[in-house]
Amino acid sequence: MKTPINSQLEIAAIWHVVVLVAAFALTFTSGLARADETCSSPYLARIDGQEEFVYVWTLGVEGMGDGADKLVTVDVKPGSPTYGKVVSSESVEGRNEAHHGGFTDDRRQLWLAGLESSRIFIFDVHTDPAKPKLTKTIDNFAETTGGAIGPHGAYALPGRVLIPCLSNAKDRGGRTGLVEYGNDANYIATHWLPTKDDPRDAADAKFADGYGYDARVLPRKNALLTSSFTGWNNYTMDFGKLTADPEAMKHFGSTMVMWDFHTRQPKKVFQVPGAPLEIRWAWGDKHNYAFTATALTSKLWLVYQDDRGEWQAKEVAPIGEAKGGVLPVDISISADDKTLFVDCFGDGKCRVFDVSDPQKPKQIYEKQIGKQVNMVSQSWDGRRLYFTSSLLARWDKQGADNEQFLRGYAWDGKELKPAFDLDFTALKLGRPHHMLFGSTKIGANRATVASRD
Amino acid sequence: MSLSRIALFTLACGIAIVCLTSAAELPRNSDYDYDPPTPGSYSLPVVKPAADGALLDSNNKAISLRDLTRGRITILSFIYTRCAAPKACPYATNVLGQLHSLSAQDMVLAKNMRLVSISFDPEYDTPQRLATYSENVREQGSGCEWRFVTSKSRAELAPILAAYDQAVNKRQNPADPQGPLYHTLRVFLIDRDGRIRNIYSSGTLDPRLVVADVKTLLLEEARVSKQ
Repeated sequence: MKTPINSQLEIAAIWHVVVLVAAFALTFTSGLARADETCSSPYLARIDGQEEFVYVWTLGVEGMGDGADKLVTVDVKPGSPTYGKVVSSESVEGRNEAHHGGFTDDRRQLWLAGLESSRIFIFDVHTDPAKPKLTKTIDNFAETTGGAIGPHGAYALPGRVLIPCLSNAKDRGGRTGLVEYGNDANYIATHWLPTKDDPRDAADAKFADGYGYDARVLPRKNALLTSSFTGWNNYTMDFGKLTADPEAMKHFGSTMVMWDFHTRQPKKVFQVPGAPLEIRWAWGDKHNYAFTATALTSKLWLVYQDDRGEWQAKEVAPIGEAKGGVLPVDISISADDKTLFVDCFGDGKCRVFDVSDPQKPKQIYEKQIGKQVNMVSQSWDGRRLYFTSSLLARWDKQGADNEQFLRGYAWDGKELKPAFDLDFTALKLGRPHHMLFGSTKIGANRATVASRD
Repeated sequence: MSLSRIALFTLACGIAIVCLTSAAELPRNSDYDYDPPTPGSYSLPVVKPAADGALLDSNNKAISLRDLTRGRITILSFIYTRCAAPKACPYATNVLGQLHSLSAQDMVLAKNMRLVSISFDPEYDTPQRLATYSENVREQGSGCEWRFVTSKSRAELAPILAAYDQAVNKRQNPADPQGPLYHTLRVFLIDRDGRIRNIYSSGTLDPRLVVADVKTLLLEEARVSKQ
């Protein structure tokens, strides 16, 4: 039996839904400022208000400080007496080719991956966000996952993390997989990238190379997109030696793969030559597209759903005009999907594109960040950007060009203005790589509150 | 509008949506803009065993969580009834309501599926309150089993929340219009042997996917029994 209140509500149901939607919109447009990273998983609990800390996963350098990889925490609270300073540093065992990381969906843990050792270091960032503590290490990754190695990062999914890998234990080449662990570090599954010989019903599998790099989800389309880089043999090789070795240079990824996210089944392979790296889905409710940049060919690519609902990939803009390319690495899309920041390791510049028309990006600005630059992280309000310098231990520049820094900038829509500069060499910390935002104020995930607020 | 009235209003809107959609096919919409997979065309790897714990049912009777996660395919949702965030607990309960309504028309689901709503707000969500809440959100007399449970105390609840990785924090403002607690949305798919096979949250808690997953597990059982 239904209660009287339900009967009344049935009559007025549609009106109530309309009111509910209006109330929802009001609640989330008049509340706290949202300032979380624009490139984080939509399943991740978001920061309420401005980020308070930048966590920097840092490669150890032999003879520098303790020589070990470490998680460095930098205070970025405006007005704080320690603004722009290191407030904690927690080392892990040895040097592992510290690369990328990511939070669990509840933002209580930060998982940090070592590309060379295939170890994963799990930090508690909940108990004291200003002073993360190493709580667990996964050091049997290859054995547990059935031979995947080179964990590239950690991407929050509900109750679990997705770890896209770069290589395999058998030949240390580019064939690899996506690995899932539960939030309590229990192994769940490995999904190997499709190849020509193992197409698993993916369309255009004749192009499939099996390589991996980034993996990102567009929830409302049930779409998981992956990109491709290179295997352990290459990313642990000296950069000069690598580029002088024509055989080694053949072993770079030239594909992206669209997956059915729910079933983890590959659906379509795209030819994207030149190592497509970071993937950034647009945030807009009707923006069914993602950008990537190809490192070796210096191009912006768009993966988009066409008028028939088919996923397609196309080159949409060159990045830089230098002969031989500028080696674009990290990219960051603004929350309004209008601006894309592209870091170029080759010339140390950040190039800013107007991507209001995603089919026709236009470069509108560029800034010399340093002699080399790799990662860029942007606040949700688009006002603050943070840059780090290191690409890979054996690929970073040499001598005076080997600047190692974390630099904060303010963006006013027209130019980047320096806010602080931390010299990681002078501080004897090492080579700063991936940045993630921390805070004491954590709310619901972005999918819970709205796709955009 | 007081917090409890906002929560009631939000919940009631969810009930209305259930009533409007329960008899129809579960629709594709802008939040879930894709076709669901064919049941049995994919696999659901084991995530981990579903933990046990001491609970109280809506009749104030002691019950073991283990008894609610074995013997049927279980959809277990952590909620609190004061939650007024439309895409959090009210949404989860709405989805369970849709599943319950579907099971009223599908004997296989009615016999093989169980829904469990477990509160992480034991001070407020007493067995009596849950009994009232359950009357408001489900059709009576038909459909699969749907249990509403709470705990005696936070101390008894804590190990359950830890085992299911359910984060819950008090908001700084207890009068926050979204409700007094921050939490991740967690809904679990648990097979008949008490193993977690999927974890849903906002963005993945599409009732069509849940139904596909339940049917995938049923097909898996049929395959295993043939062998």
